[in-house]
Amino acid sequence: MAIDYVVYYAEKLKRNPDIFVQQKELIESQMQSSAAFFSGLFGKDFKAEARAYLREVGLL
Amino acid sequence: MPMGKAYSLEKDVLVIHRELTQLDLFVRDFVEVLRKHIAYLIVSGFVSIAAGRSRGTEDVDVLIPAVDSATFTLLFEELSGRGFWCYQGDTAKGVYPYIQELAHIRFARANQVFPNVECIPITSEKKAQYFEFRHPQKMRIKDFEFNIPPLEFEILYKEIILGGEKDLADAKHLRTVFSDILKRERFKEFEPVVRSHGH
Repeated sequence: MAIDYVVYYAEKLKRNPDIFVQQKELIESQMQSSAAFFSGLFGKDFKAEARAYLREVGLL
Repeated sequence: MPMGKAYSLEKDVLVIHRELTQLDLFVRDFVEVLRKHIAYLIVSGFVSIAAGRSRGTEDVDVLIPAVDSATFTLLFEELSGRGFWCYQGDTAKGVYPYIQELAHIRFARANQVFPNVECIPITSEKKAQYFEFRHPQKMRIKDFEFNIPPLEFEILYKEIILGGEKDLADAKHLRTVFSDILKRERFKEFEPVVRSHGH
């Protein structure tokens, strides 16, 4: 029978909050990657360029 | 704090035993402004992530009341002053029509696009959302205390209304982590309310 990784991880986490440390690393790594990507993508008029991008991806 | 447990219930506040992440700090800074002006409820992905679900998110969904123009203007101006920009516009006057139309608006930190807070205006006509809005559960991580829906409601909403792969995994995570405190009678009580979504 295949392991349900969501349940497996949640069961582990429930008994061992040290696992939160790994979760923090994952979340912050993703945020840093995203910030680095977008800081290089737009020029001086950040908001205008960001809005153009957001329109393209359907978020605006 | 009891050792070896991911959370505890302290005077009805769900206390999560972990350090704050950068995502938490972003949400905390936003909510600090929001709560000075209006009531709010953080829903969906951030609730699961706050409770340890190991995934990233670009949006933090927050229910807000469809407030009057004067209240919105004060909120918008303080958010702008605290370094948040709004995708939909740079002035309260320009963005307020979105609130009137119950359209979502998003805020991110200056010079960033993600993560963003997606504000979802609601009125009493949105029965399910209005119900959860009026029955907040407090969650706390370190010094950051915030409002979320009752856990049973959040789980059912993800399972019945949202239903995507990510949502079902979030619901499973919440069911597993909080299995000691979830109440069957509350699932029964909330299910018809959740199913009234959209009516």
